[in-house]
Amino acid sequence: MRSRRCVLFRARRLAWSVLVSVIMLLTIGCAGQTTPRNGRPVEGGVATFAERPNATPNYIFPFMGTQYFSVTNGPDFQALMYRPLYWFGDDGKPVLNDKLSLADYPTFTDANRSVTVKLRDYAWSDNTKVTADGVIFWINMMRAEKKNWAVYVPGGIPDDIDSVIADTPNQVTFHLNKSYSANWFVYNELSQITPLPHAWDRTATGPSDCEHTMSDCTAVYDYLTGQAKSINSYAMNPLWQVVNGPWRLKSFNADGNVSFVPNKSYSGPNKPHLDQFNEAPFSDNAAEYNVLRSGDNSIQVGYLPPEAAPAKPDGQEMGHNPLEANYTLDRWHSFAVNYFLLNNHNPKVGPIFQQQYVRQALESLIDQKSIIRVVARGYGVPTNGPVPTTPPNPYASAETEPNPFTYDPDRAEKLLADHGWSTPRDGVGTCERPGPGPHQCGSGVPAGARLEFQMIYATGTQTTTLAMQQLQSSATKVGIKVDLRGAPFNTVIGTASPCDASKPDCNWQMANWGGGWVFAPDYYPTGEQIFATGAGSNQGSFSDPKLDELIAATQYSDSPEAMQAYAQYGSQTLPVIWMPNNDYQLTEIANNLKGVTPQNPYLNITPEDWYYVK
Amino acid sequence: MTGFITRRLLQSLIVVLLVTVIVFILLHLLPGGPARAQLGPRATPTAIASFNHQMGYDRPVPVQYWNWLTQLATGNLGFSTQFNQSVISLIAERLPKTLVLTILSIILALAVAIPLGILQAVRRNNLADYVITFWAFVFYATPSFFLGVVLIVVFSVYLPILPAEAPQSASIQVILSQPGGLILPVATLALLTIAQFSRYMRSSVIENLAEDYVRTARAKGAGERTVLIHHVLRNSLIPIATLLGLSLPTIFSGALITEAVFNFPGMGQLFWTAAQTQDYPIMLGITVLIGVVTVIGSLLADLAYAVLDPRVRFA
Repeated sequence: MRSRRCVLFRARRLAWSVLVSVIMLLTIGCAGQTTPRNGRPVEGGVATFAERPNATPNYIFPFMGTQYFSVTNGPDFQALMYRPLYWFGDDGKPVLNDKLSLADYPTFTDANRSVTVKLRDYAWSDNTKVTADGVIFWINMMRAEKKNWAVYVPGGIPDDIDSVIADTPNQVTFHLNKSYSANWFVYNELSQITPLPHAWDRTATGPSDCEHTMSDCTAVYDYLTGQAKSINSYAMNPLWQVVNGPWRLKSFNADGNVSFVPNKSYSGPNKPHLDQFNEAPFSDNAAEYNVLRSGDNSIQVGYLPPEAAPAKPDGQEMGHNPLEANYTLDRWHSFAVNYFLLNNHNPKVGPIFQQQYVRQALESLIDQKSIIRVVARGYGVPTNGPVPTTPPNPYASAETEPNPFTYDPDRAEKLLADHGWSTPRDGVGTCERPGPGPHQCGSGVPAGARLEFQMIYATGTQTTTLAMQQLQSSATKVGIKVDLRGAPFNTVIGTASPCDASKPDCNWQMANWGGGWVFAPDYYPTGEQIFATGAGSNQGSFSDPKLDELIAATQYSDSPEAMQAYAQYGSQTLPVIWMPNNDYQLTEIANNLKGVTPQNPYLNITPEDWYYVK
Repeated sequence: MTGFITRRLLQSLIVVLLVTVIVFILLHLLPGGPARAQLGPRATPTAIASFNHQMGYDRPVPVQYWNWLTQLATGNLGFSTQFNQSVISLIAERLPKTLVLTILSIILALAVAIPLGILQAVRRNNLADYVITFWAFVFYATPSFFLGVVLIVVFSVYLPILPAEAPQSASIQVILSQPGGLILPVATLALLTIAQFSRYMRSSVIENLAEDYVRTARAKGAGERTVLIHHVLRNSLIPIATLLGLSLPTIFSGALITEAVFNFPGMGQLFWTAAQTQDYPIMLGITVLIGVVTVIGSLLADLAYAVLDPRVRFA
């Protein structure tokens, strides 16, 4: 009896001990998870930024080919060390940032055929100045290696520059082959220039002279790209330690773990407050979210995966942040348009897509508001046309450029019926009045042609999948059958290429990779790369002479009306089908870290502005 | 034995070559092509053509294969533009990390599964056997991603006593110096393996306990412990040797899901990323490695039989 009582007593004691231990652990755990929000700014500290899944920096030389051209390598990595001539994105707005630019706004003379750029007093970390020669070094490199410059477009920079002269050590003048819009030339052409340091003008055998002699540039390029391929030596190579940005590389590994320390000789306006800035790689969204949830404070600027995003109540900017104990949520809007493509050269359905009323009917079947509210949980904005209306910008706005084709299946049905199509609900409409007349199906569309399209779409994100299902469902109401075919992102972009109707690779019909176009480094949203006839990134081979004219007008005229006319016509004529533009990222910022917002719509980060409060 | 090994190695060479041919053809049948996948949607047709030319993807497939094979003969597995590194250096970076993870988990699994299997066999149809069997089935049926997430939620989120991710350093010394970060990924892999190994071990021990030689040993007065350790254990390890041999490719190829859940950039993740971006050199390089390791694994399993069971050797 006594022994039994003793056992019971021990069991109870053990149970209480376990309970108390669990409560203590939970208390300690919870206590450790809270981060203060306010306090006085303090200098120093280390902040770590979460890289997006499978997006790790892997190229340090700013003159890079398409295969290395990415947000991860450019704005998130190189730009911290090697500043571009002009910086874009100011206080969350998609405009030139005068304060962070290396040069004054250029002076345009000779009817905009001469552009003079005056450099400010910036220095490289090897105590040399950022000079006109450094700018010409880049231009010469572009001229010699244009095929290796990621965003080279025939006719664009450097083809549009007749000559470039260093007037003084800190002034350079470009003589252009035509008179261009100042906005366009600054935002889309000069924006591509990153002045290079004299120390990089060399080959393996010694100093070279690409700064003054273009024929020297190929050897210099080969040398620098060779050095850039030695990825594990980035932090040790003295070449890459010559920086003019606020940071220099402290350590780098190929997995994507990167550390920067302040460049002590940085001559710009915003000196870093932190002692160190890190970037950390993640295999997927869930792995990153697990780290944020654990509250171990190893990430200060991360992101909330879309699947974990709290639904945004109407009228509010955001929903309840699930990580509010440690983090503050901030929406990161990109200056972008989102769309899916129609293959205008497809021999079977291309002639149907070439009819503007068909495109307008398709656009009328996209319920952008519902997709944003339900699928994207509120974190997105409608795309009204070729010029983004969000974030607020001087080029277009939702007020002045409303979407003329909001969701309206009745309108879609009417458009089709008015042009000679049958529109059986849950069936497939056919062309009953062929011909090019105003109430006929349109030129090239034969009698009996069917409103039946194949859509290849990227299955990686649920938002794209659900948006495509919405389209499919709406389309059945008006006699359009959309055959959805999910595929990996790379398959979709590999399939959706500009093509010749006679070639077998032109059999794709509609394609949606879920991305659209981010305007960087073509910061001025003029569209010559995506919607002009024959443009390299006009994957759907859309062609409209009037749209070409309006695009050209934005390139040659600074008139705000030119951009508005392009925006309005583009939203009417629909070179692509506009889709909602989801937020680039729902950023989670440690409560005690300030200076991260407003986030740059061109996706640059400026950790030199970040500071802790205590 | 030498002749046997030589024959097996020659056969293996042919198998590996055939595997590379099949993989090479399959890769080229994938829609889209590597240029678009690696250059992104902004790439112009000119940039794509230039990339294909630079990488040799514009040549006929047999020519590409021959070029790759001749490079392979010199130990060059090619260059990944996606990672801006040679495939050899990528594998050299990732493989040691994967080996740390997988070998630790297998050692742990063996250390737990073998005694568990023996215990279950000796006390079969007992409470201990039922309890262990229940948990073995639970872990056997649990997908690794789910188990990993559960462990993270429990040990990193609710009881924040272990990190949610594996050590991030490129250095093995640093990784090993942060054992806390290895506990959850190793445990995830080990629990699944324990479930598998312990079942095989239990069956094997039960089978051997019923053999005549065990009865003979007992009849000769050998104690139960001696019978188990000196007679039954060795024979019961044969299926485990087979499993270990077949595990060798997994040890080298990495545990994709576990690596992803715990943000551990090893071989599994490397292959997965390469597959997503159609990075031919990486996929082929890893395929060759896995092919070689698979045939070596099966060879080692055969040799292990011979060591564990002399009858195999004499046959």
